[in-house]
Amino acid sequence: MGAKFGKIKAAVLGGAMAMGAAPSAMADGMDYETVTDLLHLVMSSDRTVYTRMIVNRLAVQEKVITASEHFEDDKALVLPAQMFRFGAEMVAEETDEFTYSLLSLWPINKQNAPTTDMEKEGLEYIAANPGENFYGEEELGGTTYFTAVYPDIAVAEACYACHNDHKDSPKTDFQAGDVMGGVVIRIPMDG
Amino acid sequence: MLRNRTLWLIWIALTLIIAGVAFTRLYLGGPRLTFMPGETAGVHHQIELACETCHTSSPFASQKKVRKDINKTCTTCHKEELKASNDSHPIKKFKNPRMASYWERIDARFCTSCHSEHQPEITLAGLLTLPQDYCVACHSEGDQDVRVNRPSHADLGFETCASSGCHNYHDNRAIYEDFLVKHAGQPWLKDAAQHPAATVARNRARPSEDEVQAYLASVRAPEDKRDDVIDGHWAASAHAAADVTCASCHAPDAETPDAVEAAWVDAPGEAICADCHRAEAKTFALGRHGMRSHPKIAKPRDAKKMLRALGLKKPPEALISAIEAYVDDPSPAPRMSTAEARVPLLPDAHGQDLTCNTCHKPHEQDLNFAAVGACLSCHADDHSQSYTDSPHHDLWQAELAGDLPPGSAVTCATCHMPQTERDGIVTTNHNQNDTLRPNEKMIRPVCMECHSLEFAIDALADPDLVARNFSGQPDRHIDSIDWAVSRVSQPDEGANQ
Repeated sequence: MGAKFGKIKAAVLGGAMAMGAAPSAMADGMDYETVTDLLHLVMSSDRTVYTRMIVNRLAVQEKVITASEHFEDDKALVLPAQMFRFGAEMVAEETDEFTYSLLSLWPINKQNAPTTDMEKEGLEYIAANPGENFYGEEELGGTTYFTAVYPDIAVAEACYACHNDHKDSPKTDFQAGDVMGGVVIRIPMDG
Repeated sequence: MLRNRTLWLIWIALTLIIAGVAFTRLYLGGPRLTFMPGETAGVHHQIELACETCHTSSPFASQKKVRKDINKTCTTCHKEELKASNDSHPIKKFKNPRMASYWERIDARFCTSCHSEHQPEITLAGLLTLPQDYCVACHSEGDQDVRVNRPSHADLGFETCASSGCHNYHDNRAIYEDFLVKHAGQPWLKDAAQHPAATVARNRARPSEDEVQAYLASVRAPEDKRDDVIDGHWAASAHAAADVTCASCHAPDAETPDAVEAAWVDAPGEAICADCHRAEAKTFALGRHGMRSHPKIAKPRDAKKMLRALGLKKPPEALISAIEAYVDDPSPAPRMSTAEARVPLLPDAHGQDLTCNTCHKPHEQDLNFAAVGACLSCHADDHSQSYTDSPHHDLWQAELAGDLPPGSAVTCATCHMPQTERDGIVTTNHNQNDTLRPNEKMIRPVCMECHSLEFAIDALADPDLVARNFSGQPDRHIDSIDWAVSRVSQPDEGANQ
């Protein structure tokens, strides 16, 4: 998908995130696609762990605590989508080197609907082509970004049960293993 | 001819020198108000002479850098409040480039997009410098179109979103949809209406007569400093019970009687109070009474540093002392005083500084004065002066008379300095402005201890009722709870924002 080499920046990012990636790749500089793939691997692994081992176990299987959007007021677990967003916002406060978000064509919170043409294209692509990722370049606010979209899969009952039951969900027939949305990762290419 | 030219040159040089000296004096040491582009809004006047408190960017910095730096200076004081508000539009939400199309409407990445200082002609309440219908910029089209998402809102004007008691840009803790639904349909006044933290505080055992006598016998102070009235006040106070002795405040580092006498300070400063009462001192510095003692207010400028910044690596001491002798940095006084206040005050209040002792006598523990008397000895606005005729005042009198249980009283401090309790320790918020502006901030920590959410929303949306200090009932009803309940019971009415 025409990924250019952003050697220095990508090498720094890759160095921070690679966790044992081949040293030769670092020496040569990594392409954007490799960097976003590695970033996504960390994100999706942490996200799956939280969803399965915390929320699904405690809220769905053992029923010892609930998960709620208003987790403070309700003394409840943070929703997996909030967990992901809080992390993304914390990253945004620390660096401009990359940004990420969890979006969907069927969001409960409309803020998480696609806002750019490429987000829409990417989300449609990953929904139509299960197992594939989407990569592209787009210009936003005068800056060109490498944009990668990864499928976000219903990994536990907690995911689809909650979305199917929520009064504001535009889609109520999600099943285990469905693509429910996508993780969008962006790296600025110029500057 | 030559003489003429020389005279001209001398004249120009002298003009420049005199103008430069006058400018320096004005900028460095004179009334810096001369340079202010426009009046500051609200309480910023208290710190406006310390320009560098907000303006931290270096000269000729880019506009982008300046806006980022101003964000930082805003959050220096307002960070905690924004964090506590569970901000609905935090800056971090708008930094993602996917929000780029919104940056062109209102650039919510920068505080100054909505809150522009020094613009008195266009400044609305809350230092808002956009027209009141600013929500229209983002919530009138596409996925965010509120009229599509909420059929009940179809005929509402955008100027009413944030002015009706329904929505705030930042703080929606008490008025978000699920909270409205959760607290719908409750009676306007609870049966047992008490403030739990106040109940804990006021149920504390008072010292017995024997204990007071024991404390009195333990007083140790230089003979010429002793005073029977003071001793009596102290012995009955929480300080005595907590082993805070005369020397603890008047000679804090002295250990022997001789050392106490040598180190004795007749009127210890506020720093002594703040040594123990840290949470109170910290919150006091965030409110209008104490904001001048905020640690981040720019200090008087340092001549040496300024000369270094101008490129003089080793400025001669003589030059530094000459400048320091010539200019007198007019940083704001360390304390706010009633003379500088811009709210209605009683004539008798003029000329007072605001220190701990303004509301708290140093030896006598008189919380009734701190909770009501002190406030009413200065504040002359309708709301304050109506308090003594209000039902809240009646509750206070009834509690004092023993007719109502502890924690039933509603004093000025109950609402404006709400108390919180944790592990038996009660903390009083000394930022009197924390629950004001927007006044819905008061609903959860204060109003809902006794009233229903619905009543609180209606009452706070009625400015006349607020001015009468809540004598009577609200003259309006805000539909937000009804609409939220109806949307939940009829989920097809539109999707969540």
